[in-house]
Amino acid sequence: MKRLGADLKKASGIAIAAAGIVAVWALASAATGKPFLPGPAESFRALWSLAVKGNLGDHAAASASRVLWALAASFAPAAALGLAAGRSRRIDAFVSPIVYILHPLPKVAFLPIILLVFGLGEASKIILVALIVFSQILVSARDSARRVPEQLMDSVRSLGASRLDLALRVVVPSALPDLLTSLRVSLGTAVAVLFLAETFATERGLGYMIVDAWARVAYPEMYAAIMALSFLGLGFFIAIDLAERMLCPWKPYRS
Amino acid sequence: MVELRGLAVDYPAGSADRRGRGRVKAVAGACAVFPSGGISAIVGPSGCGKTSLVHAVAGLLAPASGEVLVDGQPVHGIRARTSVIFQDYGLLPWRTVEANAELPLVIAGLRRDERRKRVRPVLEELGLSAFRDFYPSRLSGGMKQRVAIARALAAEPDLLLMDEPFSSLDALTREAAQEFLLDIRRARPLTILVVTHSIEEAAYLAESVFVMGGRNPGSISARFDIPENRSDLRYSPGSTTRDFRAAPRYQERCAAIRAALRDAGPIDDAGASR
Repeated sequence: MKRLGADLKKASGIAIAAAGIVAVWALASAATGKPFLPGPAESFRALWSLAVKGNLGDHAAASASRVLWALAASFAPAAALGLAAGRSRRIDAFVSPIVYILHPLPKVAFLPIILLVFGLGEASKIILVALIVFSQILVSARDSARRVPEQLMDSVRSLGASRLDLALRVVVPSALPDLLTSLRVSLGTAVAVLFLAETFATERGLGYMIVDAWARVAYPEMYAAIMALSFLGLGFFIAIDLAERMLCPWKPYRS
Repeated sequence: MVELRGLAVDYPAGSADRRGRGRVKAVAGACAVFPSGGISAIVGPSGCGKTSLVHAVAGLLAPASGEVLVDGQPVHGIRARTSVIFQDYGLLPWRTVEANAELPLVIAGLRRDERRKRVRPVLEELGLSAFRDFYPSRLSGGMKQRVAIARALAAEPDLLLMDEPFSSLDALTREAAQEFLLDIRRARPLTILVVTHSIEEAAYLAESVFVMGGRNPGSISARFDIPENRSDLRYSPGSTTRDFRAAPRYQERCAAIRAALRDAGPIDDAGASR
């Protein structure tokens, strides 16, 4: 019951914030009266008609699937490598230099190289997003594994645990909340980069939709697509919240 | 019986921050015998190497020289029937009370029903049945410690090592926990080694109290026997050991241990490196 109440509170908080944004938007639109800032009503109508008559669903699915593939390709290897580096000096000696070189670089700047190497197709877009998720998860997995209290390791070791037991029963669960948090952060960046990746060499995806509507001076459609991309980001956020609740039930629930 | 023969323990310098070379000497030349079925205590100030000594007896640290014998066998690595209770209990926050208690059995590869059959009676004995599905974060310090004891007992040990087991409990809970430990021992023939910095606790619980002193390395410098605390006397009918704290003899033993501690080396940890 407590949890349900907290959920309602959270949902109503989001609803109030959304209503506030819509109100500011409506006011700004009415005040300027310019075609490039249509009101929320008009934009929502465009969103509705794109969803029903147009192919908003296809574009959204294309974007979501790119993010999901990128995630599938990068999360597990980054987490495994990072956790191993956090617990083993030998592995860290190999991983840390890569982290220091790779992590601070703006991955978007690699876009031309990725395009040259992997071509203009789907692979390049997925690799760009995967690269961002990978480096973020790698760093936080390594740092999180280092923070596992030594006494906890000793206490489980004293029960006769093997290295595999320690990895699966101590290091992974201990790092899981941190991994989900950095996943949340990196997915935000991933959606932003996805927009950029979808503005060229493709005719599918919400990023394409935005740029295409912009070029056609179809402003209500452009806003509709921007909203759709925002909802996609929100969807990922909520999905990670749910995953955290399922995977980390020991965490005291915060609303 | 547990025997330390000229035990020396060291650990890598700067292991926490991964800097520094060489090794820090924690314990040197420690000799002691902890009788089977009894409670022994090691008393010493912070930084005298008590915890390193426990780690060596548990097989978590290999001796730099000398050896640890349990029932005549030298300890190499983890021994199945040795259980350790650590200062902050070492419970896994992501496992419930029952899942924590059955962890040694999970690691040993026992099946679920087999694990239940062994863990549930222990939880019942320790008054934890109602808290089976609680996560440790929802338990008080005293309860967490009971879970740690349950986990230790689930492995059916013959040797129980306790590193500062009561130090984070408030004074009254601490006395209750001491009685609780004595009840646990009454129910099964365990050899118990308690490491503590409390003289009163050592003198109340243990039939032999070993005083540690010095620093980097520390060593065992004195031994006090308190026959009143022997298991055969304590658990005999009509035993008055429960009132031992009020006896003049108890006060006298505490004073003697305190004097020996003062002679053993520096007590306060100012200026000591961590």
